[in-house]
Amino acid sequence: MIKFFFMIVFLVSNHIFSILEIEILKGSDNLSKVAFVPFGIESGIEENYGIQISRNIEKNMLLFGEFENLAVNEMLSYPSSENDFYYRDWKVLGVDYSVIGKINSVNALGNLNISYSLFNINRRIKILEGEILGSEDNIEDISKIISNRIYEKITGLRGIFDTKLAYVVNSDANTYQMCISDIDGKNEQILFSSKAPIMSPDWSPDRKKIAYVSFENGLAEIFIQDLQSGERDSIQALGMTNSAPVWSPDGKSLALVVSFSGNPDIFLYSIRNKRLVRLTNHYGIDTEPSWSPDSKKIIFTSDRSGSPQLYEINTKSKRKKRLTRDGNYNARGRYFPDGKSIFFVHGNNGNFQIATKKLSSRYIETLTSTSLDESPTISPNGNIIIYATKDGSNGYLGGITLDGKARFSLPVKNGSVREPAWSPLLK
Amino acid sequence: MRRLFMEPIGIFILAMLCQVYSCASNVSDSVERMQYASVAGEEYLLGDKLETNLDDKVYFDFDKSILDAEDKSLLEQYLPEIKKAKIVRLEGHCDERGTREYNLALGERRALEVRDFLVVKGVSGKKIRVVSFGEEKPLKSASNEKAWAENRRVEISLY
Repeated sequence: MIKFFFMIVFLVSNHIFSILEIEILKGSDNLSKVAFVPFGIESGIEENYGIQISRNIEKNMLLFGEFENLAVNEMLSYPSSENDFYYRDWKVLGVDYSVIGKINSVNALGNLNISYSLFNINRRIKILEGEILGSEDNIEDISKIISNRIYEKITGLRGIFDTKLAYVVNSDANTYQMCISDIDGKNEQILFSSKAPIMSPDWSPDRKKIAYVSFENGLAEIFIQDLQSGERDSIQALGMTNSAPVWSPDGKSLALVVSFSGNPDIFLYSIRNKRLVRLTNHYGIDTEPSWSPDSKKIIFTSDRSGSPQLYEINTKSKRKKRLTRDGNYNARGRYFPDGKSIFFVHGNNGNFQIATKKLSSRYIETLTSTSLDESPTISPNGNIIIYATKDGSNGYLGGITLDGKARFSLPVKNGSVREPAWSPLLK
Repeated sequence: MRRLFMEPIGIFILAMLCQVYSCASNVSDSVERMQYASVAGEEYLLGDKLETNLDDKVYFDFDKSILDAEDKSLLEQYLPEIKKAKIVRLEGHCDERGTREYNLALGERRALEVRDFLVVKGVSGKKIRVVSFGEEKPLKSASNEKAWAENRRVEISLY
């Protein structure tokens, strides 16, 4: 306990620079072309805002390689209301969707009323229109909300532009940082910095806390850190090694691994009354738990068959089922948000790659082609996976969209980055 | 403060504190609770490490935690010094392949394998501390067979 106060270098800071920036390596197989028309502005409003907001929306929409854009200087007209909008202007340029909008002033205090519309050019109809009240100070947030709505209308999937990413940065051999940033790499924050390794970050469902493992006291311990206050607590689950914490969907408990007498098993830990309940009991290694979205089952890795394979256990009946049989290494499984498929690390011929599998089928589909891929995390809408991989001795993050197979990477400016964890959606 | 914790009385007080702390939290299985009362008792790390002339590492195959004859004979040469030490820290490590949390468990397996061998050879289990760093602290950062072979290890340090 005394060491706790002496040895921890603890800081919560806001950095203006962004470490991660998404680079598209390959766009989706069937890219839709979207025109983001600079928003019109009512006289008296800063001219920049109109361009700023359409640019922000454009950047968001292009973030994961799912769409292509039409350059502003190629546009034949710049409509800001439906009355000025002519489908043929966009049809001739091969555009599939157009986004237009207008910023109106509400009062002299900088409050704005932003209206926007989305047109499907091929079907010649307006498919979305909306209005947002906001202020000059939160143009970025407003852009994210509009981007989410446009993305939802076009793809039928939830928008994820206001989500965040947690990750561990190893900037030099002896510096480990627990970081979070917006999904576009902006607003990076270092939550905790240490000379000892940090691993396994996981977001609470309300996005207010992160659980992770830190070796700051010489062994693996689980900490929960509050993002608002920066306060952090070791959960004192005891055992030789405490690791792999994951929040239950209701946020009331963690599934985690405790190794009593050197035998790692899965336990459920109730956060409020600090009670530990055993879930698995096997002399083999049981680790890497994760909850099904309905919180009835937990997927985990076990080497009880002789090699690491994935199993699921019903938290009530304790009934277990083996999920993977092909390949000699299938580990760190997670359920898709719909609970029908899983994604995991699949080892095959010495390569470790990210793979998916429907629970109803035996077929394993490999998604990545590098050889040291690990720690996959999925977007809350179930369409994008970000994972950690390596180039030489530098760790970086890679990503893939599941519907269009777009590929991107999030290179780090210095050091190694790993263990990405995608935040849930804001409730 | 530092000095206090290197003294036997300081260690005793800490052990008692840990005992009290552990009893305060609820573990479903009381036998387990007693067995691992002093998880936070890593204060010996603040003391001086004993220097030895022997190679202080044993190595393992991928996804394996079995000691071969060579490892065992190495450990046997090490025994007299290990028996003299107050604390024996066994740190298990893995190579970068495979998943991090599974490797954390595997590193612990490797360190336990060494512990079990030492206990059979007459080293008191009470003074052995087993820790795993999984793949988090590689000796070599390259991604090739040679680096991996060096990274799959248990490091032995005496205090």
